[in-house]
Amino acid sequence: MSLQNGGALLWLLPLAGIIVLLYLLRMRRRDLRVPATFLWPERTEEIRANSLFQRLRFSWLLVLQLLALGLVVFALARPQTKQRGLTGEVTVFVVDASASMGATDVKPSRFDEAKKLVRDAVDSARAGDRVALIEAGPNPKVVFPLGNDASKQIRAMDAMERSDAEVDMGEALRLAAALVGSEASARIVLLSDGDFEPVKDFSHGKASLVYKNIGRNDYNLSVSALGVADTGKGRQVYCSVRNPSGKGLAGTLNLYADGRLIDSEKIQVASGKSWGKTVAAPTGANVFEAKLDAPEDYLQADNYAVALGMPGASLRVLLVGKGDFFLEKALALDPRVTLDRASEVPVEERGEGSGGTYDIVVFDGTEAVPVKARGVLAFGQAGSTSPVSVEGAARSPRFISAEPGKLMEGVDLNGIYIDGGQRVRPKAQGQVLANGSSGPLIVASKGDRRQVYVSFTPLQSDFPLNVSFPIFIANALDFLAGEVSASTVAVKAGQSFSVPSVGSATLKSPDGRTLNLSPVNGSVVVREARRVGRYTLTVDGKPKAVYASLRSDRESKIAPEVDVALGGGSVKAIESPMRFADFWRPLLALCLLVLVGEWWLFARKS
Amino acid sequence: MTLNLGLEPREFRLLEGLRLNPRKSFTGKIRGERLTKRKGISIEFSDYRDYTDGDDLRHLDWNVLARLETPIMKTYRDEEDLAVHLVLDASPSMTFGEPTKLDAAAKIARALGYIALSAGDAVYPKMLGVRQPPMAALRSRSNYHRLTRWVEDRPTEEGEASGVGLASALRQFANSSARAGVVLLLSDGLDPEAANALRVLGGRGHEVCFLQILSDVELDPDLEGDLRLLDAEGGGKVEITANSFALKAYRENLERHNADIRDTVLRVGGRYALVSTKASLETILKDVLKREGWVV
Repeated sequence: MSLQNGGALLWLLPLAGIIVLLYLLRMRRRDLRVPATFLWPERTEEIRANSLFQRLRFSWLLVLQLLALGLVVFALARPQTKQRGLTGEVTVFVVDASASMGATDVKPSRFDEAKKLVRDAVDSARAGDRVALIEAGPNPKVVFPLGNDASKQIRAMDAMERSDAEVDMGEALRLAAALVGSEASARIVLLSDGDFEPVKDFSHGKASLVYKNIGRNDYNLSVSALGVADTGKGRQVYCSVRNPSGKGLAGTLNLYADGRLIDSEKIQVASGKSWGKTVAAPTGANVFEAKLDAPEDYLQADNYAVALGMPGASLRVLLVGKGDFFLEKALALDPRVTLDRASEVPVEERGEGSGGTYDIVVFDGTEAVPVKARGVLAFGQAGSTSPVSVEGAARSPRFISAEPGKLMEGVDLNGIYIDGGQRVRPKAQGQVLANGSSGPLIVASKGDRRQVYVSFTPLQSDFPLNVSFPIFIANALDFLAGEVSASTVAVKAGQSFSVPSVGSATLKSPDGRTLNLSPVNGSVVVREARRVGRYTLTVDGKPKAVYASLRSDRESKIAPEVDVALGGGSVKAIESPMRFADFWRPLLALCLLVLVGEWWLFARKS
Repeated sequence: MTLNLGLEPREFRLLEGLRLNPRKSFTGKIRGERLTKRKGISIEFSDYRDYTDGDDLRHLDWNVLARLETPIMKTYRDEEDLAVHLVLDASPSMTFGEPTKLDAAAKIARALGYIALSAGDAVYPKMLGVRQPPMAALRSRSNYHRLTRWVEDRPTEEGEASGVGLASALRQFANSSARAGVVLLLSDGLDPEAANALRVLGGRGHEVCFLQILSDVELDPDLEGDLRLLDAEGGGKVEITANSFALKAYRENLERHNADIRDTVLRVGGRYALVSTKASLETILKDVLKREGWVV
């Protein structure tokens, strides 16, 4: 037991002294003549005093009053005891809803075990306790806010679902800290297997942080790579299976092309090793799937991978620059995009030839150097291969007009404020798409390598705050990818993406559930492809196949972590969380009982 | 000057024909109207005995002489007066109650004195707790007015108090040369040594008839709060908180004290009764004195 406010005990002696002093005061009694006094017992009860002084005599009233005082002072000292349990007075549960929590080493799954712990905690919470739950998914959200309505909380928790994706644990924890970080008696309880990226820029404030790890085993095989490449032997499908666990595991790998089995092989992968295979891709096949069946595999989400063979179905994009949040978000909204970031172009990607890793390179405020990618999008800095030649700097150019075309479809630059940029002149192959007061603002060129040049960076204007910005980026990606409209896309599970749409869209998930999606600003945003598998997205009456897969080494490594890096420090998992339970309330109740007894005694004696 | 008789005519009528009914027989001082165990002259036949010279031939049983030719004398019980000590407690404690215990006791004393005087008994008035010269015996109903004056001359305040408690006064009386007889004691008995004093009194040959008179002040005290009780007879001070505990303890003490007195009186062959000051003379006569055989 410990005291949160031990200083309150110092009040005990002076207050008890005052009470005893009152009992030292003598009673002034009324004289009364009676026939005989020998029949009357000497019986005095010191229940009130109005004169000085007398010898202190034993009195039950004094004892009860001192007892009540002791209880009050002890309650004010806020005693607390250590008890087993997850909840405190204020508790925020952060439940890891990532792919690795789907591991079945804990039955039925780690995620279900985490939900069970939350349910038990909510059930055992005391009347004054407040509990909140945050789902740490790809987009963390508050499942239920701080409160103590157990039935409502459990209903909300039951509706919570896991995703087959990596999660943003940092955002979830920051959300929890925002909820209770200012309360010293609060605790943030993280229920996870610890398989997430180290969390930076996080502080739990005054609240305490408890990490309860879930999981027992690390047996897992994962399809770590699946791709299609044109080689000297023709079109080849390569597939890789990795075993991140501490034990050699066996399984069967099946490869499908457009739904037809093209290869099946029993494999044995040693601990920590990978297994790979390349097979010839059938002519004309576009969708390649790898399905792994392993009896000792505890995680199913990473046993599936998909690769698309048609051009433009997937885009590897390299963003070169200091970093621009708006630009990254706009690029990531396209389901085809796999985005990498760099401050400068890697050496192997430079040059005039082809065969680079990236389909598109985006220069954000850095000089557009020659690259091997199929397309180049340059903001604010033209290069030697750009469709423009630089004439100088432009100050506060104003938008004047735009040329009609697919690239500018749905893009309205009227009223956009541009602080500064380059004053350029289009080269021969350059097609001016938007003109400003200082010359061309947007210039595009076709040819072996498609290019789009914008004379200012997004952060030099308020363009990113305009709804036209993501539309322009989507149009630019379509243009740079060769204007190939993809009816099949592959995404990472849990990833949000948008598709241009006029009317409403429907999404049919692998388990057969159908969801209606409403368009906003000319596109529908899909956030519900949380599980791996094939989805059917029907947009404007045209079906589009969406393949979601996991492909995450981090999530495939399902060994439960004892230590997790949170906010620059390491937090160790605890087996039996302890909680400090205040018991000042029962003390005050007892005090009230004593005072009732004291009053009853007083009433009887007086 | 108007003579206050102290009793209503109706009450006198109730007393007519009554006489004290002592359990014991006492030796008389003069011839009276009380039969004794001694042989004497009266109309009450006692026994036969042989004739001896000088016997009064008027008491010779002629029928026996004629039948048996043996002179047999008839003897008769003697008749003497009865000493009735009418003892009235006039100590300060008797001034409590409404009416006061002393007023109630005085009325009963008049009634008992009238009964005794009417029966030809020798009434010796004695007031306890005051300094008073001894009075000569009162005989016959014609002395009732003297008895009344004696009662009326009782002190109303503590001015003439002797400062002697009930027990001491009873002991003094017991140790005096008073004739053995019936002691009609009218008192509240509120003295812790009262029972012992009564034992001494009974041991001196008196038949103690103790009529304990208590008022509501003693029987059902209505006290409240924190009090310092002062004894009316200087018995000391007691500090109490008059709550249910204190009142319960008081009642238990009073009951124990009265029971002690009653047992003592009965043990010495006397009579005991407890009456309230609120009881009427008629009630006392009917429910106590007649029912329990104090008077017949």
